[in-house]
Amino acid sequence: MTHQLEVRNLSKQFSSPGGPFRRARVMHAVNDVSFDLPKGRVIGVVGESGCGKSTLARLILRLIEPTTGTLHFEGQDLRAKSAAEMRRLRADMQMVFQDPYSAIDPRYTVARAVMEPFEVQGRKPQGSAAEEVDKLLSMVGLNPGLAGSYPHQISGGQKQRVGIARALALRPSLLVLDEPTASLDVSVQAQIISLLEQLRDDLGLTYLFISHDLSLVRYFCDEILVMYLGRVVEALPDTGLAARHPYTKTLMDSTFAPDPAQRRVIAPLEGEVPSPFNLPPGCAFADRCPQASDLCRTQTPELAARDGHAVACHHPL
Amino acid sequence: MLEVSNLEVAFGPVAPLSGVSFALDKGETLGIVGESGSGKSLTAMSVMGLLPLSGGRITAGSIVFDGQELTTLSEPAYRRLRGGRIGLITQNPMTSLDPLQKIGPQVDKVAVLHLGMTAREARARTVEILGTLRIPEPALICERYPHQMSGGMKQRIVIAMALAADPDVLVADEPTTALDVTVQAQIIRLLDDLVKERDLSLVLITHDMSVVAQTCDKVVVMYAGRAIEHGPVGAIFGAPQHPYTQALIGCIPKGLGQDEQLTGIPGTVPTVLNYPKGCPFHPRCPRAQGICATDRPAHVTQGDSAVACHFPGERA
Repeated sequence: MTHQLEVRNLSKQFSSPGGPFRRARVMHAVNDVSFDLPKGRVIGVVGESGCGKSTLARLILRLIEPTTGTLHFEGQDLRAKSAAEMRRLRADMQMVFQDPYSAIDPRYTVARAVMEPFEVQGRKPQGSAAEEVDKLLSMVGLNPGLAGSYPHQISGGQKQRVGIARALALRPSLLVLDEPTASLDVSVQAQIISLLEQLRDDLGLTYLFISHDLSLVRYFCDEILVMYLGRVVEALPDTGLAARHPYTKTLMDSTFAPDPAQRRVIAPLEGEVPSPFNLPPGCAFADRCPQASDLCRTQTPELAARDGHAVACHHPL
Repeated sequence: MLEVSNLEVAFGPVAPLSGVSFALDKGETLGIVGESGSGKSLTAMSVMGLLPLSGGRITAGSIVFDGQELTTLSEPAYRRLRGGRIGLITQNPMTSLDPLQKIGPQVDKVAVLHLGMTAREARARTVEILGTLRIPEPALICERYPHQMSGGMKQRIVIAMALAADPDVLVADEPTTALDVTVQAQIIRLLDDLVKERDLSLVLITHDMSVVAQTCDKVVVMYAGRAIEHGPVGAIFGAPQHPYTQALIGCIPKGLGQDEQLTGIPGTVPTVLNYPKGCPFHPRCPRAQGICATDRPAHVTQGDSAVACHFPGERA
């Protein structure tokens, strides 16, 4: 067993039933996504809003049910598990949410919030509860003196540390991080990122890191999956590689460096992201792509790899 | 074109902004950068004369626009200026647009009010402006409602409204924060072009140092209601003197991959009710000494730059 997580042809469609005033519609939120996450590695999933990256995170933990596809976690077929078995398994695969303000019950103290997973799983920590709270808070760089505080008494960065401590409570091997720093100030974001780096080294964690921020993903991750309208359009095995998909190139060119000597010439980008409700035939990026040909508008390109670098494009760069 | 000196703002006994100074020439882009609660949006509100709306007032300093002092200007006079010679672009286009009104009339109104145009003239102007902002089929867009458009398109409409009265200065308060990165890049490109084509002066308020590096000529770095360092972008990014500016730049990945290490800044941004005494950054500062906790550092000018720190200098 080499892979912590194996995802094959995973898809999720949300359907909205028709009514007297509208037709029934199907939205393809995640479309035929496959990847392997080896133990101890960090894969970043990057894309703009609506590309399906958060849905993908939830599908992997089966917080929402996939429509088709398979999921294997440490060799076990997750989709064959009952709800009770799945709950036990989730002790090993935890999630850190984007918004620490809504992820923690405002009526819980910090101590109760980080101990909640034990309650849910009907388990007891090794030592006393108080010792465990101390241990978890120190692990994420929080002063154990905060144990009695309520969420409204602590800052956003501290709340996100509580969210991470809670995710670590049952000592999982996989963390799914859904934009864990998107709602934080940059100085605090950098703190949280270095905390996650340190925890990965200390505890040998595997991360799936969901983000809209390509420069952060390039900094933090080992591999990158680029999503556009529910599909993986490019899988980069190394963060230093140049883009082969025109969309990835657009994303890279839209990301600025904090250095006035490296100003970019911003190329115009026509059009808008199409609605996931009525996907155009062929490549979803075709209408905005400078390279697009007739083939792109009729036939959906398959993800094809060369030296481990996969791209779904008829005319890769 | 616009000169702000020693601006101080108070809400009752609380002073969330003090000692803010900057100057902006024609055709220049000035970035005001800072984290949440640093006072960057308040600075914009002060320039727009919108503080009384939220119960604030300017207690010291001056704002001079094209030779005219704004801090003592009457409300009717301000009303002619605001949306006229000084345009505002806000962060969330949804709150700047009336959801019940079609796009056309909303943009037309600016030219009717500020330029005294008839409805027909104003519409022709609206269509022309939407066209220059590369909005496809401008005449059709005029008949749409805001909810029928994407976030990037709505932000273009807000920019069109700010441009409709042919302003000299544009104040853009986090104009791209609510947008996706590719859309952000397009809006930045658009603002850049407008500054060049119309010789506009742009005040760009942002939390993103990378956006400042990409677009601005000058930058003011704010922290806890104070302008702690300002100067030309080349100098501020090339050789920042204030430890906060240095740390803030150190918080952003530079695309060097494994070779770099993000450091972060220990502690959190103070809120307005607990701004530290002395230098507001001293509790988080690696260089802080006794004097930093007691005395407010004055601005020390060096060339075109200025820094408010007791121990300025490049990072060791």
